[in-house]
Amino acid sequence: MRSRVAVLAVIALLLATGASVANPGGEGDADRDYTCGGSCHGDPALSSPSDGTVTVTADPLAFSGTATAVHVTASGMSLSGNRLLGVFLLGSANGNDDHPEDHGWSILQDPNGGTRNYIEIVVPPSGSVTLTWVMLAPEQTGIQTLLVEIHHGSSPNSNNWAFSALTRGYVVDVQPMPENLPSFAFDWAPETRVTGVDSPTVIRTRNTTSVSVQWMLEGEWVPHDAEVTGEGDEWHAMLPATIGDTRIQYQVTTSNGDFSIVQPWLTVATEPAPFDGEIWGARMQALAFAFLVMAFLLSLQARLSPWEGRPELDHTEEVEEVETPPEPPGLEPADDYWSRLVASEENPGWLWDPVDEEWVADPDNPPEGGE
Amino acid sequence: MLGAATFHAAMAEVVVGSMVLATLCAVGCAIATIFPNIAGGRLSSERIMVTMDKASIAGALLGLVFMPIAALSGSFAADNVVNNALLYNKFVYTGLAFGFWASFIIGRVRLGPGVWQHRSLSALQGATAVMALLMTTMASSIGGKLVRGESLFDIMPVWLPSDSATVLNPILSAVLLLVGIAALVVVFRLGPKAERISLD
Repeated sequence: MRSRVAVLAVIALLLATGASVANPGGEGDADRDYTCGGSCHGDPALSSPSDGTVTVTADPLAFSGTATAVHVTASGMSLSGNRLLGVFLLGSANGNDDHPEDHGWSILQDPNGGTRNYIEIVVPPSGSVTLTWVMLAPEQTGIQTLLVEIHHGSSPNSNNWAFSALTRGYVVDVQPMPENLPSFAFDWAPETRVTGVDSPTVIRTRNTTSVSVQWMLEGEWVPHDAEVTGEGDEWHAMLPATIGDTRIQYQVTTSNGDFSIVQPWLTVATEPAPFDGEIWGARMQALAFAFLVMAFLLSLQARLSPWEGRPELDHTEEVEEVETPPEPPGLEPADDYWSRLVASEENPGWLWDPVDEEWVADPDNPPEGGE
Repeated sequence: MLGAATFHAAMAEVVVGSMVLATLCAVGCAIATIFPNIAGGRLSSERIMVTMDKASIAGALLGLVFMPIAALSGSFAADNVVNNALLYNKFVYTGLAFGFWASFIIGRVRLGPGVWQHRSLSALQGATAVMALLMTTMASSIGGKLVRGESLFDIMPVWLPSDSATVLNPILSAVLLLVGIAALVVVFRLGPKAERISLD
């Protein structure tokens, strides 16, 4: 009976390993083709259509080389326990060369502050999330198509499927840039600042004679004006430092005498301060802790165990002797008692106690017969 | 050619597996000593106690031998670069685990199997094994966090800090290292000599 239970327990444990899924914690933001280039998520046996709704909002007209925003809203998905959602922004759905940059676009900023076409985000409890890619339109004019794919898990997910959805293509008509249109420099990308640092944000432009910048914290409604210095094609905007989880958004307006272009909102991309630990410090700290723990526990073992020399060092009796309280009155030392006893020649071996008026056996000369 | 990361994963599995066995048996011995009548006295029977004692020392020894190999291969897998708090804490927890396991083994070897007949020592050995396993699982869970973005400890209501690290100045670490070595010398050379406890 016991062996059967043991075998069943082992089988249950082995089967439980099959319940795990590939990368439930996600793989992080990256540059990816459609369905990760035909990976397991593209296998119909391992995937299923998502029950979510994805909408894409983009300006249908863009000028070549200018910034344009693509807003993606995903809602209504049945998500896994960690509520992780992966979103792809694609130029095609072939399984290769699907990155928008393969189609001439340049990603200025992704929703997480980087420059990737695939990002992962934790969907808030509302179940809806809106993400914005800011991109520079291709130099080559003509009709361009943008697609969005999402993928996510589900809870419960007994088949270990990946749930995915692909939108239809959204068409953007890329027109030649009007002459003298002020815009960002084509090779400019927002800098990433270290948390807590308030160094000026560098903005590089073209065809621009003046720049104004407004900023606001994410969730605010009223923007603030930022101080901007610079000239020519390089400008410095003073934006406050990012602290903690706060996100600062800013909007640049590039102007010259003929045009004034309000660029899409960007996010101040921040990264944590570089980690100041190094491997030899970590190794030394680990060894130090190991030795300290060993010293403490070994001394504790020695203290609790019987050890050599304990009798010699054990002064319990001496301490008790010193600390023993005096006898209470009436229980005086025996010397007084024996001194009051009177020896008797008539009764050898016996002493007379005049106080208690009784005979007491003499310990030095016991009565004959041992009585 | 086997990659360092794959080799590290295999070594870490050997360490964690053998140390789980060691901890279960050590805790079993401690419980049997403190509560001799538990499970109708079957747990504290001589046959079970000898088996658990041998399994615990064998598991702990195997884990301790493989722990430096796992640590070194993990270090190579990370290209010998510590660039985040998680990785730094992995080193620190590995060091702590090594300290606890070494103490467990040294205590058992110095005091003999009779250590399980002594209630306070038995409790100390059991607690040491539990702490050692906690440190070992923390170090291995951080590996899961680094590679897969999740670990078994995510479902626990409380777990030890790992997202932020207390980075000591290397000079302070060196001083602590010397203090630790000096403390060990004092314990072994100048402190009381622990006697092997004779079995009843």
